[in-house]
Amino acid sequence: MVDIEDLKSRFLNLEFDRSDFEIGVENALTVALRTGETRPEFTDPEHADFQATPAMLASLASGRHLPIDFPNLGGIPMDGGKAVDCLRPVRPGTRLNGRTHLHDIYAKSGRSGRMIFIVSRMEIYAGSGEHLATSDSRMVIREKPET
Amino acid sequence: MTVANIGDVEFGAELAAFEPDTSLSAVTAFAAAVGWGDGGGRFSDHDRARTQGLPGALVPGIMAMGFLTTMIHRWAPAGRVERVDTVFRAPLLADQPCHISAVVTDIDEDQGLVELDLSVKNEARETRIFGTARVKLPTG
Repeated sequence: MVDIEDLKSRFLNLEFDRSDFEIGVENALTVALRTGETRPEFTDPEHADFQATPAMLASLASGRHLPIDFPNLGGIPMDGGKAVDCLRPVRPGTRLNGRTHLHDIYAKSGRSGRMIFIVSRMEIYAGSGEHLATSDSRMVIREKPET
Repeated sequence: MTVANIGDVEFGAELAAFEPDTSLSAVTAFAAAVGWGDGGGRFSDHDRARTQGLPGALVPGIMAMGFLTTMIHRWAPAGRVERVDTVFRAPLLADQPCHISAVVTDIDEDQGLVELDLSVKNEARETRIFGTARVKLPTG
């Protein structure tokens, strides 16, 4: 059985990826419209406050899902959920930088065994260095039973 | 019903829902726009998705997140979603209706903040996605 406290002590809060992004205007618009958005700041690229929706921000992914030396836990990772903190508007067509670290690791036991939850946090910055948003990805891995 | 400021918000109120477009064409366009392509058919082709062991083509979880934030934006045209947190409990299938809901669970009138419980259910009214949101509203 994986030692969760050991994983936390070794991997939490250590940046393991930096990636540059630029959200395309057309892509931001498509995401807004396909989710039914009607507010002009999300649907009108000419609007003075045009910005990406939270769902668009949740789609940004780091170059790596886990630190390079993170142990193989055996199971297939599943997407357990996303969270987005919107601090400032994120403007499509501008350069962004995402810095990723593991924010939390925890386990839950059920009838089918133990599930390990890994929360990977990406902090999204503008080219100027301003912190715009934070996106959490919750990865769920069913622990491989010991034989 | 829409709300203009924090004073309009009632504890326990349910937000007016809309019918999300979960058609395969909408899902495919969404997945392409977020850079996921067609996911080997996962977001574009029911038969190819089934070959991957899935029950059919999927609505991406973050697309459902988008349906929920849209509902909030429609409810509060001057509101700003500060945080949205969604748990992907089970797959949501493309080309099948889904039902979105949100209910007010807390109000901070001084800070202009509202907490919402969120859910997305499938046609059988089984919860597929649930979560919470914190929304900032004008206090004046």
